Amino acid sequence: MALRGWLMAITVALIVVSLGLFLRRLNTIFQVMRKARPARRGDHLGERFKSLFTNVVLHRRMFRITYSGVLHYFIFSGFVVLLIDIVETIGEVFFPGFTVGRILAPLVDIWVILVAIGIVLALYQRIIIRPARFHGSDEKDAYLILGMIGAIITGIVIHDSFYPFVAREVFHVADPVARSHFLGYALSGLWRALGWTGPRAASIGYTVGYLMDLGVVFAFLAYLPYSKHLHIFAAVPNIFVRNLGPKGELVPQPIEDSMAIRTFQDLTWKDIHDLYTCTECGRCQAVCPAYAAGQPLSPKMVILELRDALNERIAWGTVNDPTQPALAGGVVSAAELWACTTCGACQEACPVFIEHVPKIAGMRAALLEDGNVDANAQKVLVSWDRQGNSFGQAARKRSAWAKNIDVPIKDARKEAVDWLWFVGDFAALDPRVQRLTQLIARLLHHAGVDFGILFESEVNAGNEALRLGEYGLFETLAQKNIKALNQAQYRHIFTTDPHSLNALKNEYRKFGFHAEVMHYTEAFLTLIDRGQLAVEPVGLTATYHDPCYLGRWNGITEAPRQLLQRLGVNLVEMPRHGAQSFCCGAGGGRIWMDETGIEDRPANQRIREALALPDVRFFVVACPKDVSMFSASVTAMGVEDRLRVVDMAELLAVAVGLPDVAESDLRSFPNEAGILS
Amino acid sequence: MRIAVLMKDVPDLVEELEVEDGALPLDDMSFVPSEWDDQALEEALLIKEETGADVTVVAIDTGEVDGLMFTALAKGADRAVKLAGGFSRRLANRQRGAVLAQYCQTQGFDLVMTGVQAIDDLDGQIAGWVAGNLEVGHASVVRDVRAGADTVKVVQEYSGGKMAELELPLPAVLGIQAARKPPRYVTVAKVRQLQKTASVETVDVSEPTAPTLSVRKIYKPEAAGHAQMWGDDVDEVSEKIVNLLEDKKLLRS
Repeated sequence: MALRGWLMAITVALIVVSLGLFLRRLNTIFQVMRKARPARRGDHLGERFKSLFTNVVLHRRMFRITYSGVLHYFIFSGFVVLLIDIVETIGEVFFPGFTVGRILAPLVDIWVILVAIGIVLALYQRIIIRPARFHGSDEKDAYLILGMIGAIITGIVIHDSFYPFVAREVFHVADPVARSHFLGYALSGLWRALGWTGPRAASIGYTVGYLMDLGVVFAFLAYLPYSKHLHIFAAVPNIFVRNLGPKGELVPQPIEDSMAIRTFQDLTWKDIHDLYTCTECGRCQAVCPAYAAGQPLSPKMVILELRDALNERIAWGTVNDPTQPALAGGVVSAAELWACTTCGACQEACPVFIEHVPKIAGMRAALLEDGNVDANAQKVLVSWDRQGNSFGQAARKRSAWAKNIDVPIKDARKEAVDWLWFVGDFAALDPRVQRLTQLIARLLHHAGVDFGILFESEVNAGNEALRLGEYGLFETLAQKNIKALNQAQYRHIFTTDPHSLNALKNEYRKFGFHAEVMHYTEAFLTLIDRGQLAVEPVGLTATYHDPCYLGRWNGITEAPRQLLQRLGVNLVEMPRHGAQSFCCGAGGGRIWMDETGIEDRPANQRIREALALPDVRFFVVACPKDVSMFSASVTAMGVEDRLRVVDMAELLAVAVGLPDVAESDLRSFPNEAGILS
Repeated sequence: MRIAVLMKDVPDLVEELEVEDGALPLDDMSFVPSEWDDQALEEALLIKEETGADVTVVAIDTGEVDGLMFTALAKGADRAVKLAGGFSRRLANRQRGAVLAQYCQTQGFDLVMTGVQAIDDLDGQIAGWVAGNLEVGHASVVRDVRAGADTVKVVQEYSGGKMAELELPLPAVLGIQAARKPPRYVTVAKVRQLQKTASVETVDVSEPTAPTLSVRKIYKPEAAGHAQMWGDDVDEVSEKIVNLLEDKKLLRS
């Protein structure tokens, strides 16, 4: 009985100490979360549980990297089974004769094998494969945790192997599941051969296994909240409280004072929770265009820098000390923050739904309030404020593209129209894009669509102003547009610009604007399917680039593809497409900022990705900024003879047979001669 | 130290200038703060950060100057003063100088700074007129202002890459060419907040008598010559370049 008493005492001590330490630490973090800004995440419960199922049970995002997904699933499922082991092990000691039964017992052993495989795979990944995404992560912590998990599963097998002897010789109870723990049973054969089956040897062996299992389990529990492996507890709730609002909505409620994030109290409680959920897996870093371009930003490091600073301030009791370095420009450098394109690839890749972009935008707001902003971006902010567009052009010039084309364009402010077209800055004012805008007007006219625009009453939608952290300016621009939109009479509204689409659709909701805004690819698909626009197949092979603010932030990936299909385009996908598309580098105001320090422009990387596809000569885009970005890359890289950037509007014009477009250079493009019928 | 920054708004030149009945239709035009005045304000704010000087922004009320005044307050100016007297936007620069001097006279500023010029004051007269009326020292086209207790040092740039460092006794009036740093950005929210919490003081001033010029005619310049397009044939274009250089005797044989 001495063994049981001793083990019971040590188990109680372990539970009390480790649980005490664990809860104390959690409480400290909870107190920080309590003082943080609010975030509403208790709605849509059904959807939240569904999301838990797909993202926890099915590991949907984890399996995007098959190797890591599999190894993680082994280890993750092992933790579920570990609970069975803990119940059984404590039960054996506290309630002699306790078993979990013949069904659950072998499950433990099966999963010990799977976890062991998982550990081997994880070690292989970390030591041999060494994915670049781990760069910057705390690998020592990873090895420590893998070691602890290894100790636990070894302990399980050891105490299971000695338990039959302990049960018989020391506890004097039956062990009906001895053979069910097949790993332990196999090992017990060795003890029999060695003659370690007596009460003394069995007690020692059992105690060693027991401590390797439960001792490490409780040490693990106390250590976890100080480690990145807090995600074991934090991931599930973090996925549960993920943002279920529109993805593209950066700011859910109108902001009264400021969106600036300077201290940890300026983060939301979800932001704090995010910090402790990060596992440093680096999937965000691997998909970040700024990181790939050689800029100082890694979304992972932003989270880790914040977390480490918070941990340090918790340790020193300085969380609320105003003399601590500001989060923006101190903990996270200005260079990191301004490098972000707000493309959202990080958030899309994160298996535990960490939201990087709102934190970055909030910290940008703090920098901006202190006047710390790129000089060119500052000029654009001033232009938006004064002229309502990023080009610093007079408001009256906004509709200059509409002159000299033989298409009547209605003034939607003065007469009712069926389709209202929100043109957007780039489509209206960039000389490279204006010809495409004219094409769209001609296509609409050709289809007999009753359409109009807002002329100089339209101003920049404010999507980028908000993402630069300039909420007040965004609000001013939004109110101007909403005023004009409310005065106009229309049945449908569409835009040529994904960035405008995002603002109109997601960011204007908070001001009471709720129209169903379409992208022009959706609008033209509708027109074709309604029979308003007859198209002849253009018969060419092309790849399609999903704009971040169309595909990722608004989930519009199917309409452009269906449109391509209607136009008779043989689509060859790039490896990164749909919601996993790769940013052109222009978003979040980056298009206006200094490019110093960029080693490999994201747009160039994207063009290389397309060039690697067999037989693809056309790179189809559906965003005015993409037209500028990718055309510039193709020219800079000297590959004009291999790849041509075409806007969806050009394909439509050819398919529709608009006069003087049918003979466009699209036909005579190298290697494509004769393909167009 | 008390610094006054004289500011004004000017027509936004991104708009095409229209001439109607021999005059600019000022009522239909949009106005923006004069960019050189922004430079003067920035330099003053930098001096404030270094020395704790008190910065007052002064503008003549010729319409809507509140926007630029609140923006200056949001950037860090301590006071904003609007000089009211029913002035029109057509107020001549000499009159402007007299109005501004009239106010400055009553305030005893140590340093008065303004933009070296404005798009409607290409000669940069304002600083000179104000200094003349106040009968104090004046330097224009200057930058890098270092304020001391009784004097101010400035840098003036000459042609041929020569520079001079000047020292003026205070009080003095300076026409600022450029601030040491680009003018700071101030967020719309901060300006709005200042509009709620701060106020622009209005001081009534009388319209001074000063000789002015009358505008006889405003017209768009007539094109005298035009560019010649040489096409895109590389050989042809290069030959034409060589010929032209030879014609102008710019090539050594």
